[in-house]
Amino acid sequence: MAVIRDVMPAFELFQPATIDDALNLLDKHGSEAWVMAGGLDSFDWLKDRIKRPSVVVDLSQIKELTGVKEWNGGIEIGAMTTLTDVVRNPIVKEKFSILATGAESAASPQIRNQGTIGGNVSQDTRCWYYRSGWKCYRAGGNTCFADTPTAINREHAIMGASRCVAVNPSDSAPALIALDAKMVIRNKSGERVVDAENYFIGPALDIRRMTVLLPGDLLVAIRIPSTWAGAKFYFEKVRDRPVWDFPLVNIAAAMKVNGDNIESIRMAVNGVAAHPVRLTAVEASLVGKPRNAASADAAGQLAIQGAEPLRHNGYKVPLLRNLVKRAIRGVEEAKWA
Amino acid sequence: MPININGAAPAGLVVPKPTNPAEHKLVGKNYMTPDLMAKVQGKSKYAEDYRADGMLFVKLLLSPVPHGRVRSVDTSAALAMPGVKAIITVDDLPPPASSLTDAGVVIAANMKANRGLTNEPMYQGEPILAVCAESELIAAEAIEKIKIDIERLPFVVDPFVSLRPGGPNARVEGNCWVSPPPPAAVAGAPAGRGGRGAPPPQAEVKEIKWTDADYAEYESGKMPMGAPNTPEWKYGNLDAAFKNAALVLDETFMSPNTSHQCLETRSAMAYWQNGKVFVHTGTQSTAQTVPAIARWLGMVDEKKQPDVSKIVFISEYTGGGFGSKITGDISLIIPCILSKKLGGVPVMMRLTREEEHFMGKARPAVTGRVKVAFNKEGKILGMDMYGVCDSGCYDNQGDAQAAGRIASLLYQPEAMRLRTMTVITNTPPRVSQSAPGGMQAVAIIEPLLAKAARKLGVDPVEIHRINAPEGKAKFGPGAGPKQVRGYVTSAYLKQALDKGAEEFRWAERKAKSPQVQGNKVRGIGVSVSGYSGGSVGFDGLLLIKTDGTVCFQSGIGNLGTESMSDVHRVAAEMLGVPWDKCEICWGNTNKNLPWTCVSGGSQTTHAMTRSAYAVALDAKQKLKELAAKKFGGTPEGYDVANERVFRKGGGSGMTLAQAAQYAIEVGGVYDGHEPPADVNKMTKTSIAAMAGQGLVAAARDKAPHDGQTYSFAATFAEVEVDKETGKFHITDFLCIADVGTVIHPKALGGQVLGRSTLGIGHAIGQKWVYDQHYGLPLAKRFYNNKPPTILDVPAGSGNMNWAALDIPDPETPVGARGIGEPPVGGGCAAVLNAMSDALGDEIFRRAPLSADLILMSLETGKAAGEHLTAHV
Amino acid sequence: MTDTKVTRRNAIKGVIAAGAVSSAGYLFRTNTVMGQSSAPGSVERLITLEVNGTTRRVDVMKQETLAMTLRYKLGLTGTKLGCDRAECGACTVLIDDVPHYSCSVLTHTARGKKIQTVEGLASADGKLHPVQQGVVEEQGFQCAFCMSGFLMATVGFLKTNPNPTRQEMAHGVSGNLCRCQDYDKILTALMRGAELSRSA
Repeated sequence: MAVIRDVMPAFELFQPATIDDALNLLDKHGSEAWVMAGGLDSFDWLKDRIKRPSVVVDLSQIKELTGVKEWNGGIEIGAMTTLTDVVRNPIVKEKFSILATGAESAASPQIRNQGTIGGNVSQDTRCWYYRSGWKCYRAGGNTCFADTPTAINREHAIMGASRCVAVNPSDSAPALIALDAKMVIRNKSGERVVDAENYFIGPALDIRRMTVLLPGDLLVAIRIPSTWAGAKFYFEKVRDRPVWDFPLVNIAAAMKVNGDNIESIRMAVNGVAAHPVRLTAVEASLVGKPRNAASADAAGQLAIQGAEPLRHNGYKVPLLRNLVKRAIRGVEEAKWA
Repeated sequence: MPININGAAPAGLVVPKPTNPAEHKLVGKNYMTPDLMAKVQGKSKYAEDYRADGMLFVKLLLSPVPHGRVRSVDTSAALAMPGVKAIITVDDLPPPASSLTDAGVVIAANMKANRGLTNEPMYQGEPILAVCAESELIAAEAIEKIKIDIERLPFVVDPFVSLRPGGPNARVEGNCWVSPPPPAAVAGAPAGRGGRGAPPPQAEVKEIKWTDADYAEYESGKMPMGAPNTPEWKYGNLDAAFKNAALVLDETFMSPNTSHQCLETRSAMAYWQNGKVFVHTGTQSTAQTVPAIARWLGMVDEKKQPDVSKIVFISEYTGGGFGSKITGDISLIIPCILSKKLGGVPVMMRLTREEEHFMGKARPAVTGRVKVAFNKEGKILGMDMYGVCDSGCYDNQGDAQAAGRIASLLYQPEAMRLRTMTVITNTPPRVSQSAPGGMQAVAIIEPLLAKAARKLGVDPVEIHRINAPEGKAKFGPGAGPKQVRGYVTSAYLKQALDKGAEEFRWAERKAKSPQVQGNKVRGIGVSVSGYSGGSVGFDGLLLIKTDGTVCFQSGIGNLGTESMSDVHRVAAEMLGVPWDKCEICWGNTNKNLPWTCVSGGSQTTHAMTRSAYAVALDAKQKLKELAAKKFGGTPEGYDVANERVFRKGGGSGMTLAQAAQYAIEVGGVYDGHEPPADVNKMTKTSIAAMAGQGLVAAARDKAPHDGQTYSFAATFAEVEVDKETGKFHITDFLCIADVGTVIHPKALGGQVLGRSTLGIGHAIGQKWVYDQHYGLPLAKRFYNNKPPTILDVPAGSGNMNWAALDIPDPETPVGARGIGEPPVGGGCAAVLNAMSDALGDEIFRRAPLSADLILMSLETGKAAGEHLTAHV
Repeated sequence: MTDTKVTRRNAIKGVIAAGAVSSAGYLFRTNTVMGQSSAPGSVERLITLEVNGTTRRVDVMKQETLAMTLRYKLGLTGTKLGCDRAECGACTVLIDDVPHYSCSVLTHTARGKKIQTVEGLASADGKLHPVQQGVVEEQGFQCAFCMSGFLMATVGFLKTNPNPTRQEMAHGVSGNLCRCQDYDKILTALMRGAELSRSA
């Protein structure tokens, strides 16, 4: 059939008012149901007529999914809380500011007013072959268009490739991993809690999806323990334009120091693999080390071990290395004459 | 923001005095343009805002392949859908027809041109057929029911791939346009400019392949220079120049393909009533779109001239053009033909952003290899330039040729040769984009000039100054047996450089640059830039009404440049009429518009202030003649001021309102019943329609004009680069414009900085990206092809500034020159030069720059990336 | 994709309420499309919207976006479509005083919320909103296709930060593109609008 990339196809629309109503709908419609949070990721697929769910379950009316509340000394953020509300939340700003920085770097003001933290962490990859509707592995086909000698793969992965070289584009994800966040997932059978770094999966596990969510699952909340409240934070997003653009590479680190030494550190990067990568080896190597350029350099070198750049994304190797260095060392303010 | 400068000339140089703001009441003053209130309240209607009863909708089936031939189409299932009204292909469109211009020049039918729809798609995304239905949703679903079988044909998206021995051709007939030699040369008759009646020779598609030897240096990034497809031109003694040089540089630089990306797509709506077609769409010229529509619809009269009598064109507001909507867009015939087929019902073709990416035109990439000989002060003794232009799939683009002319103007090489090759590729159609060729010339040559300055130890501002055009500077090759070179009306680029250097504190910054702070570094750059700034010979038309108000008829397109209104301030001032007694009539050809230039080529301010001047003179003369008729004496004994015509020294007179009434009584030439002989046919038609309503003044611009009008800019930029990430941003930006008399300061400022930013986009991120293996575009969305955002320029920090010299051009009444295009190249190259100041010469060989390119270059110590691969 | 036969259905239930344009062409006029019958528990087609202070009853398809409803069913064409993909801001409106890309909001999701478009900025007697006035004074914008989006983004932004610096204003409207690239003059105009808003 001929192809047209405009005009959303019709779907049945449900706007449940409670989580239970939503779960019932998801249970009833199974893989025919599309969960819509803010809608920004959804509309790209639907307007391009590439994905055609017959049922859309819009979560926007479920009040219990929004808001930030205290939880065990930390906080629990409803998955439908908008990025703007996360950025402005006083507790986030005071104790977990890295999440505010990360969330504020996403997209544009209007998108942050509508896009949700749950949507931001669960969003699909932006590989332009996949997004244009090319039938690759991730789309159910049996090839990868981005991993060929002639492909344009500037934004693709330098590690963890397994037939697919797409990357995860979320800015809040590495911040949440650095904060040791917990993802609260519910379905009809009950609730389970997953560490943030385990929420994301790579193509080796399932090439068709980016997270552990299966049909019937709903991410309902994100919990941030008090563990890293008020720690030293570093977040940086490197991208082309200062607004809208997804990260080429971003990094989030939470660090506790004891005098000049690093006591403990959690560090995650995104844009380098199909899932955010927690740099556990780097973290381990830094415990007890002085927080200086030498440690930073060594950490940077360690972070890029095993990186396998493609034709056009070799820059991500020094970029990753340098971002790791900066996360440890910090960035000096330039004082211009 | 605008900065105040004193436009005084440096000692020793005789230039006309800058215009004195105190001498003007309207010219040079800010005012509220007549369309601003509607715009600010959301009441301004663009093409897709129009609604009509029973309106139908169009969706297009776009080619999925980069080059193919439709073997079969089965639309039966689609047509059977309830709500689907019609489906058309290129076979339903009128065939291209030859037509005659007013000057008697034939515009030959071009069977290889873009026709709006096609059975041989030349690029992925080209419209093949159009479905018309009761709703867009039905039309979209209908498209999916169409079975289409396309035979794939060889394709190529990279000019250098096509030029290789054995490389594929974009068209079946070949890979480049070749113009046959002009008929005069063949017949032995004196060479001239295509002669009256003789059609300009149409280019043909031929195959040209270069040799393996030509490609010997391709891998190292040196552009191959095989046989050109256009005859070379040259002047001066190039060999001597290179022999005597203190420094010779041989550099290759690649500029990108950039889509125009008008924020309003070229949606169009059409309906027929009483045999007339009503068309709504965006345009850069209300007046000139009408004959274009006539040609496209095959409406030519028995003399083969476009018959415009059956066309009403409505375009009060256009959301951007930048060269891509010069006379609307041919795709507008799709709703016209569908509407006609369906009995005249209104048909709306809303084009999506993705369709606009395909159909909305782009600037052709020009890759240049330039060998330049400098003396030790930095003066260019010789320039040997070769430009390869990616022409897309239709229309021979002249950007590489224009680049050579602009280079010869801006840098005044004592000897020069230009060779160009224009290659056809299976990519969307190109068209002029703000400073076509001019932008690319500056992008290509400025990095070389900056490098030369470093190597010679010459200050970058100085190296521009020493090579800058001044006065009636020559440019381009010679023509005719005496090899006479063209020249400009005036050039004050040296003054612009001096003013800019002073405002930018250049010497102070240069002494410190590049400034390093940890892993950040700041650099500064300067660039010159320029483009043609004015045409001549268009008509002015105004009506003084019996209530004393003056109605200016404006055929200028309203795409935001404000020239549609600004130029008439000249006439109002000359007539002594306060602005609140003036009305601008624009946007609808039913409103009796004169023949006007297109708002392209930066010609409008120049051309139409001249027309305004001419029509104001005509109005004044008529007023004086009427006064003499009424009160006695001769017209020379009367004056026009303060809304009256009166005897000099005081005495008998009448108000403009009374004069208008009297004009009707007298009739003849005074109230439009007898139009002037030399105005354009369209103007005559408009005059006839206005006859008897008051005093009608009409005139063609015939004022003298020695040379070609060009405008110039000197642009300065400071950038800051983060060497650990490759990220960079512009911290300071200044553009000094040499554009003649300033008519409307705020509008001018908007153009100077707006067009500078268009150029900046070419330096900081805008480009196309293609998968060459499949010939398919990957960067179709804004977040992939990256138009500049408000945070990409230092507007937020208040460090984005401009000023105008305000020195009148001596060859034109009013002294105003055009502005839209001159700043574009400077915006791009000032940033490039600031980057090389910060990081050195081994960082980049092409634009745009991006963090990845810079970081890899810093890591490897040499310019990273594939220097000659297209679309990466 | 569910395979359904397309059948012609009878008249739409409910019509455009008073205040809308005539029988103007509708983007989604017909309901000959699958899935437009309402499954139990799903949304109804006929909804109530509050736009520029007026309550309007509109028949809205489930996949219809707010931009399309405003432009094609409510006669409010001041809100523009520049990209339909949340990347240009030309369609920005205020929903409960917060700027949103109306091209990326399902109209059904905007039900029960306060929607404001550029047409709703001036007061009933025609007096311009201070931000509009600022634009008029500083001659902001060229082709003005982006203008209504910038105006709405600014009005919404000023509610959260009524006294921004120029840099903060730039960030506030960073989700709006201008292809005439008139950013500097636009910022000056919006800052003037902010100043006038504070003294209003």
